[in-house]
Amino acid sequence: MTKVIINLTVNGKALIAEVEPRWPLAEFLRDHLRLTGTHVGCDSSQCGACTVHVDGIAVRSCTLFAVQADGCDVKTIEGVSSGNALHPMQKAFHENHALQCGFCTPGIIMSALDLVRREGYELSEETIRYNLEGNICRCTGYYNIVKAIAAGARAMRAGAVT
Amino acid sequence: MYAFDYKRPATLEEARKALEGVAESKLLAGGMSIVPVMRYRLAQPSALIDLGKVAALNGVSEANNTIRIGAMTTHYVVSRSEPIRSKIPALAQLAGGIGDPLVRNRGTIGGSLAHNDPAACYPSSILALGAAIHTNRRDIDADNFIVGTFTTALEPSEIIVAVSFPPPDCAAYIKFINAASRFSIVGVFVARRHGAVRVGITGAGHYAFRCGPIEQALSAKFTPEAARAVRIPADGLNDDIHGSAEYRAHLIPELTARAVEHCLAGTPGAII
Amino acid sequence: MYVGQSLPRPEDFRFLTGRGNFVDDIKPPDCVYLAFLRSPHAHAKIVRIDAKPALACSGVLRIVTAEDWTKAGLGKLVCVHPMPFTDGRPMREVLRPVLASGEVHHVGDVVAAVVAETRYQALDALEAIDVEYEPLPAAVKTGTALDNDAPIVHKQFGTNQINEIMRGDKTATAAAFAKATHTVGMTLTSNRVAGSPLEPRSYVADYSPPTDQCTLWATTQVPHMLRRWICRYALFIPEHKLRVISPDVGGGFGQKVNFCVEISTVVWMARELKRPVKWTSTRMDALLSDTQARDHVSKAEMAFDNDGKILGLKVDTIAALGAYLSNFAPSIPGNSYPQTITGLYQTPALDLRVRCVYTNTVPIDAYRGSGRPEATWVNERLLENGAREIGIDVVEMRKRNLIQRSQFPYKTPVGRTYDSGNPPLLLEKLVALAKYQELRAEQKRLRAKGVLMGIGIAAFLDKSGTGPSKQLSTRGGLHGGFESATVRVHSDGKVTLYSGSHSHGQGHSITFAAIAADRLGVPVEDVAVMQGDTDTVPYGNGTWGSRSASVGGSAIYRASEKIMVKATRLAAHLLEADVAEIVYENGLFSVRGKNPSISFAEVADAAYHGARYPDDPGFEPGLEVTIFYDPPDLNDPEAMHLAVVEVDRGTGRVKLKQYFTIDDMGTIINPMIVEGQVQGGLAQGVGQAMMEHVIYDDEGQLLSATFMDYAMPRASDMPALKSDYICTPAPSNPLGVKGGSETGTIGPPAAIGNAIVDALWHLGVRRIELPFTPHSVWQALRVAGAGE
Repeated sequence: MTKVIINLTVNGKALIAEVEPRWPLAEFLRDHLRLTGTHVGCDSSQCGACTVHVDGIAVRSCTLFAVQADGCDVKTIEGVSSGNALHPMQKAFHENHALQCGFCTPGIIMSALDLVRREGYELSEETIRYNLEGNICRCTGYYNIVKAIAAGARAMRAGAVT
Repeated sequence: MYAFDYKRPATLEEARKALEGVAESKLLAGGMSIVPVMRYRLAQPSALIDLGKVAALNGVSEANNTIRIGAMTTHYVVSRSEPIRSKIPALAQLAGGIGDPLVRNRGTIGGSLAHNDPAACYPSSILALGAAIHTNRRDIDADNFIVGTFTTALEPSEIIVAVSFPPPDCAAYIKFINAASRFSIVGVFVARRHGAVRVGITGAGHYAFRCGPIEQALSAKFTPEAARAVRIPADGLNDDIHGSAEYRAHLIPELTARAVEHCLAGTPGAII
Repeated sequence: MYVGQSLPRPEDFRFLTGRGNFVDDIKPPDCVYLAFLRSPHAHAKIVRIDAKPALACSGVLRIVTAEDWTKAGLGKLVCVHPMPFTDGRPMREVLRPVLASGEVHHVGDVVAAVVAETRYQALDALEAIDVEYEPLPAAVKTGTALDNDAPIVHKQFGTNQINEIMRGDKTATAAAFAKATHTVGMTLTSNRVAGSPLEPRSYVADYSPPTDQCTLWATTQVPHMLRRWICRYALFIPEHKLRVISPDVGGGFGQKVNFCVEISTVVWMARELKRPVKWTSTRMDALLSDTQARDHVSKAEMAFDNDGKILGLKVDTIAALGAYLSNFAPSIPGNSYPQTITGLYQTPALDLRVRCVYTNTVPIDAYRGSGRPEATWVNERLLENGAREIGIDVVEMRKRNLIQRSQFPYKTPVGRTYDSGNPPLLLEKLVALAKYQELRAEQKRLRAKGVLMGIGIAAFLDKSGTGPSKQLSTRGGLHGGFESATVRVHSDGKVTLYSGSHSHGQGHSITFAAIAADRLGVPVEDVAVMQGDTDTVPYGNGTWGSRSASVGGSAIYRASEKIMVKATRLAAHLLEADVAEIVYENGLFSVRGKNPSISFAEVADAAYHGARYPDDPGFEPGLEVTIFYDPPDLNDPEAMHLAVVEVDRGTGRVKLKQYFTIDDMGTIINPMIVEGQVQGGLAQGVGQAMMEHVIYDDEGQLLSATFMDYAMPRASDMPALKSDYICTPAPSNPLGVKGGSETGTIGPPAAIGNAIVDALWHLGVRRIELPFTPHSVWQALRVAGAGE
């Protein structure tokens, strides 16, 4: 089994790496790039804690191999805020107490941003709940997450942010 | 995960060569089915041939009143496609309910059909709509495509290129969801075309199938009551922790009736 | 005043930006990886283990089995919260081996451990270990574990019965039933669930030979207790040689309070190999090894008089504890369950028998709710069925039976005295919040159209604030119930708190800071909170049993009080006045009626300067207090839930339309956090009610081994929710606080179950099995002859 060289951009930084094909992108991000904000919560591609953006689209990084990210633009939770300022979606989560243990939070935020990309800034409760099917939270009961996503989306429009 | 080699061909021909060239190699489409299986070490392909960059396999087109969906078209794209939403809204509805948004961003129709999970949604639709599966070698009618559990008529190294659907007069898909996997416990796709009714059932048996008795009843009278009146035997139906065979036998006519209600109302179906 | 305000949480920033420090994020240089070989059988003799082929695998450093563990002279896992027989006999305890010895007792039981350079190499080597088993009959079903022909899990006992707990008065109860005009009886099963915090368990142990010091980063709710257990019971090393750090932990709910098998092996291997050793559970590991919960089968009856007043309750429960006793396990059905079985009702007579049993399944232990969901399920299903059979509205039924406010402190037939409460007010508020009469009217309208709407209530008592150490020890408990707190005022007047409890999402930081800031009169932003490091935090008993606010918070409060006594004394000295003349307001000490004042920060500065001190004997420099606070009593949160459902008759699917909660948690320190706890608990309660189920087949094979089969609620599964609160302060702690984090899990099975039965009562349905999957409801309809 041969290792493969991949060229990709992660959070705006171009890099080259040598990877085993079997490494999931999540493992590459966490163990090799030490971007540990992306979490692994299950082994059946269901919990969504590992959600990242690849070429602007939210995917489960546990179900994508690092080799598949060759030539791609990867964005993780660490790339969402700039400097010390929180992204409006992150701020909305904080203001609405939409996180408790914080483990599912990066994945949910990445999914939320993807939802805004697909459905826009005015999100109904029903739309948000339906689009959270791929993210499991065991702590919050989802009520505040739904509130936060609605508020975060509106704040993104106000700030013209993606 | 066992080790494997990885190839990412740029054309269909390169893909075919790679697949034929390496024993025990498998195609990688969206990865939604094969990767979890590999993570559990239940599959051990020697190489994965990633179709992600074969542009020819992507996209929805319409010609001669037939909707043609490229094998690598994602569920998300199918669910939002204008031609599909206007000509076969039940198919857009089906695609929009597969898994969750993250699955829909990656999962493909070709991958789903080739994998042929007994509870996957697409297999019910190709049966009900009388689709044709176009491979790099031939065209296969839907009725001949599904042959067993996780087994299709595809020969080794045969690659699905596209699936084409003749638009029905009306159709609806009812997905009765499994709370854990978000697959179907039972899913029913009803389509009516020129008076003939086809009903594709998934989740209930070892693989998706057409339900003859219900098709006959509905071809005679296209009403929810006609569907509900059909008694389906439990033999051969799935019996597991999510539902007994008797339960599934009960659900088939019940869900079909609801699909018929949707057809009559002009709505594409629901996840219930 | 900070207490009572919804202050936001400082820890959010690191979680939101992906900069949390969870154990699996930790990767010391030169780290090696551990993998566990697990039994594929529920019960089998280990005939032979041949690790030789695995040792030859690339990268493998060590493979260990029970034989190696025993050769090393190491110990066994001990149940630290035993429950003896009521007649005084000790329970039938088998000490759990760290690696299965001679026999395996559940699918997932740990048979061997491999350490290798990489995780992949460890997993590859696992497959090369050859184990020969001789399968033995397995006792799987709880209800039949005590049958004469049941296979025996631990043959040395000749029975699967662990203990027998009897509570109440048999004679009085029999008499009550004899004179009752109505009785309701049912067999009620509480489904087995798996807590499944989203972060899998993970441990990294690092041993330094020059200092003979080992550091263990662990996903644990109880860092000090874990250290003690590993040192005292497993590895026989001095406590000061093991540092346990519990950094950010992604949810616990009880699953991370346990003395789980794998931990000791990780630490042992680090000490043996003198390299950092890491193990992170996969989700399948978790479902095969993390402790599970509930799993009761109860035969229960309630007796009523003609007015629907409860005359007596009779319950006979068999409670599964799994293949081994996990550390708190026997006390869940043995103590928490009995103490809350009569709930909020005046139950004159009780006859309760609980028999805990071994089964060849994953061990059971505490999980959010611990015994109270099981108790409420029994008590409330009997009450509502009784109400319907007699013909009394379910709200009215409660009015007639609730403990009145004036009756608190209320002595129950179980022996426990409930501290404070106002159940009638809870009911009044619930009825108002839910607009109960309108719901009934709507139900009638919808029923006329063939829509099956149902309304169900659960009224219940929680039990929290564990607990007085003396009380624990009377049951043979091998751990205390106190909590530690250090309040360290720095020389600039800012403060650091050290708490022996541990946050894994509950927001301790801002909660404790608010308590201290109020008491010390400092800005809450000036207070930092440290937890989770046995080297820096004094011994604490950790977070479980809803004890952090009432015990941990009270500890912080008491320590802060002592700080103020000293600070006031020093201020008086600096202001040349008597202590009695000193007034403290807005962070300033002054002499009553006079001008000069001195700030808290200036007093702190003086405390660390050491120059100007009073001559009081024993007055020392510094401004720091450590206390160990032992609560004088538990406390009793109370709550009521109302569920509104619609049942789809054709499929059995239950839609949760609305849900209402009224909670009494005494003083609420941070309403935002408390509400989050109610909502989060509710999701887990809805999970147990609607979909979560750990299922074993007749051979003990786990059928729900991944999330593909073990269902947990998603956002779209949750009902529309309205919540409210009342406050009857807890008399036993200075804050008046009661536990606030478990009520959400307690109500749903009963409230939703009652609602479903209410929806289907007119069709002949009287019973419904947990979880209320569409299949379960459809079965209930069929049994009643009402299926479509």
